[in-house]
Amino acid sequence: MRKKSSILLTLMLVFALVLTACSSKTETSPTESSKKNAANPVKDRKNELVIGVSAEPQNWDPIDVFLLDWSTIATSVFEGLVDRTLDLELQPGLAKSWKYLDDKTLQFKLREGVKFHDGEPFNADAVKFTFDRLLGEEGQKGPQYSNYSSIDKVEIVDEYTVNLKLKVKDPVILTKLAGYGAVIVPPKYIKEKGDENFNNNPVGTGPFKMTSYKRDQEIVLEKNPDYWKEGLPKLDKVVFKVIPEASTRLAELQTGKIDIMKRVEVSQAKTVKETAFLELRDVGTPTAFALRFDVAKKPLDNKLVRQAINYAVDKDAIIKEILSGYGKPISTFQSDLSFGNNPDLKPYPYDPEKAKELIKQAGVKEGTSLDVMIPGNDGNFKEIAQAVSFYLEEIGLKVNIKTADGTTMNSDLIPQGKAGHMYRQGWGGWTLDFDNTAYLMYHEGEFWNPSFKDEKVERLLTAQRNTVDQKEREKIFKELTEILYDLAPELNLYSAVDLYAVNKRVQNFQPPHEDRLRLEEVSVK
Amino acid sequence: MIGYVIRRLFHTVLVVFAISLLIFFSIRLTGDPVSVMLSAGEPSKEAIAQLKANLGLDKPLYVQYFIFLKGLVMFDFGESFRSGGPVIDLIMDKAGATLALAVGGILVSIVIAIPVGILSAVKRGTFVDFFGRVFSLMGISFPNFWLGIMLILIFAVNLKWLPSSGFDGPQNLILPSITLGMILSGILARLVRSSMLEVMNQQYISTAKSKGISDWAVIIKHAFRNALLPTVTFIGLQFGSLLGGAVIVEQIFSWPGIGRLIIDAINQRDYPVVQGGVIFLSIIMVFVNLVVDLSYSLIDPRIKSGGSGHA
Repeated sequence: MRKKSSILLTLMLVFALVLTACSSKTETSPTESSKKNAANPVKDRKNELVIGVSAEPQNWDPIDVFLLDWSTIATSVFEGLVDRTLDLELQPGLAKSWKYLDDKTLQFKLREGVKFHDGEPFNADAVKFTFDRLLGEEGQKGPQYSNYSSIDKVEIVDEYTVNLKLKVKDPVILTKLAGYGAVIVPPKYIKEKGDENFNNNPVGTGPFKMTSYKRDQEIVLEKNPDYWKEGLPKLDKVVFKVIPEASTRLAELQTGKIDIMKRVEVSQAKTVKETAFLELRDVGTPTAFALRFDVAKKPLDNKLVRQAINYAVDKDAIIKEILSGYGKPISTFQSDLSFGNNPDLKPYPYDPEKAKELIKQAGVKEGTSLDVMIPGNDGNFKEIAQAVSFYLEEIGLKVNIKTADGTTMNSDLIPQGKAGHMYRQGWGGWTLDFDNTAYLMYHEGEFWNPSFKDEKVERLLTAQRNTVDQKEREKIFKELTEILYDLAPELNLYSAVDLYAVNKRVQNFQPPHEDRLRLEEVSVK
Repeated sequence: MIGYVIRRLFHTVLVVFAISLLIFFSIRLTGDPVSVMLSAGEPSKEAIAQLKANLGLDKPLYVQYFIFLKGLVMFDFGESFRSGGPVIDLIMDKAGATLALAVGGILVSIVIAIPVGILSAVKRGTFVDFFGRVFSLMGISFPNFWLGIMLILIFAVNLKWLPSSGFDGPQNLILPSITLGMILSGILARLVRSSMLEVMNQQYISTAKSKGISDWAVIIKHAFRNALLPTVTFIGLQFGSLLGGAVIVEQIFSWPGIGRLIIDAINQRDYPVVQGGVIFLSIIMVFVNLVVDLSYSLIDPRIKSGGSGHA
């Protein structure tokens, strides 16, 4: 009997050791030993690129969706009148040039000789059709319509000239035209084949055409041989594989099944850097993250308390320790890529003494408790919330971290002022102009603004919408950001940095700031 | 028998009706799809109202429900808010992959668990039994995301024998099936063991043995056959729940299954897809139960379908 139990004990120990060996391997780097100097596993893929993405939009019609996942892929298929460079500067797209005829009329000269993937010509008719559709019955069923509601109509001047008539002055219209909803679509194709067909079989003028779409699995793009930019694109084929799980995406990259991995997690950065045939690329994004205050709730109705919280939290330490440095400090609720960002404002410094003083001045009792709401599925942010909680306890505030389903938070809790004293919000501002963020967050009665109001802020928000003079707007935003900095309607934390892992066979790839992969110049070795 | 089946089909209609009520109203308690769709842009109150009207969400709830129910009778679940296509197409698109994974998982669990369970029972108290029980415990306690990722690291990244994701061929089915099957086989092996032990203590087993029938013949023909009943019930129920409940495994292996479809739809508040997906799965579940019940009379002729114990 004794002998038997000692055998069993030994077996159990061996088993435990095997398990430990396995699990410790995952924690560090799964492939450290085997891959450090391993040869590039991609062979014989020819002039083809494979990209691993975490999700796809389920619908390719530009007026039906409003998702970054759409833009990642569809930027290669569709083009707008106005385009943006990789550095986010506006540049001519399908329009060669434009000018303001008056404050509410923009005239566009269109590029000649451009064809859609189905062979039909791009011209003024296509532009008119696109905007009639976006602003008409079909467009009103989708999420893009409200982004373009300042447009009244498109008038055709001649085959390659159109006038865009606005209902109201819209200083952000050009940048909106570089947005997803305003890409030009083929009239004949849509009329003949119908809208539903277009959802799954998109046709645009872009450098690649979509030749196959397997929902939730794979999207295949092939070179558009008639593309209007001479000599481009360089690749014959681009395949997007939908792989929702980050560790699986990394496994596919390590085994050479994909060439570029999107949405690398901070914890995976080390593995990528240590793998000889891979390269880690990071890029700043327009998305800012903050814990916003519900200023209707005591004691956050007091500016001094809001400022104190901003002084109390060491944002640099959070960025360094929790985000491994992949984040940038911000002074207002926007990134440095946004028009209207004020570089003269420096984020609130970490000064717990000053914070304590302000709390005392505001007459807030020691141990006052604050509810902080964060989405339950964001593990990274949970750590950040815990760090914030630690800092606030240092100045005598008590923090209860509460989690909620992210979608419910965005669709109901925040707009209805039910998201606690402070809540996580990430905001990209798709127009890359502070107008979008500031108007929605601080204008009284907006969906995203449950409680904030300030007369001066209202006045400036209206003023910047009433002029198309960008210099003037910049001045207004300077004043606005200074006021917001002082009023501190949120605890600004950081702007996000995106990580891409790229196989070294890929040449000329530059990661985009705003998820829109531009692949026409990319080639492979 | 036929009368029984008809009665059961009638029950199915009632079940589906009850589920339609439950899912229709519960999904509407979780938040507004329009604000989810518009939240990235400039959702003015007018734009929200307009989109609601266009999606038919401005109608009174009971009207919306009747529209849904009317479609349901024709097996028309409506159109997805997000993809714009018919929900039934989305479901059918995933049905093959879902079924393949569920069958794969069940097969792996049967192949592993039944021999382990039988051996464990027959060699009760020995080293074999100990190993079998440890194995079951492991199966039950391993989280499937951990097992899935381990299998990917070993068989895809290091050994490069199998693909880690996708749905290109039978080789893609191996790792997800093992992940699902391993977890299931833990519970199944325990079940087989305990039902075998129960049967082995019965008198007819001793009688069979005393007649001089060989040990293994007794075990397989007499004991296992009688221990099969709870096993089949369990496998049937698990099969039903795997159809929609393999979300984590689908996620890890990028498997295009119905579970993932429904979870994504819940996150997007794509009501028609959630409703359609849940109804579809519940219909399948009810049928699987029916088949399991009917199979009892095949396994044990003493049970007649329609008997009060198994309705």
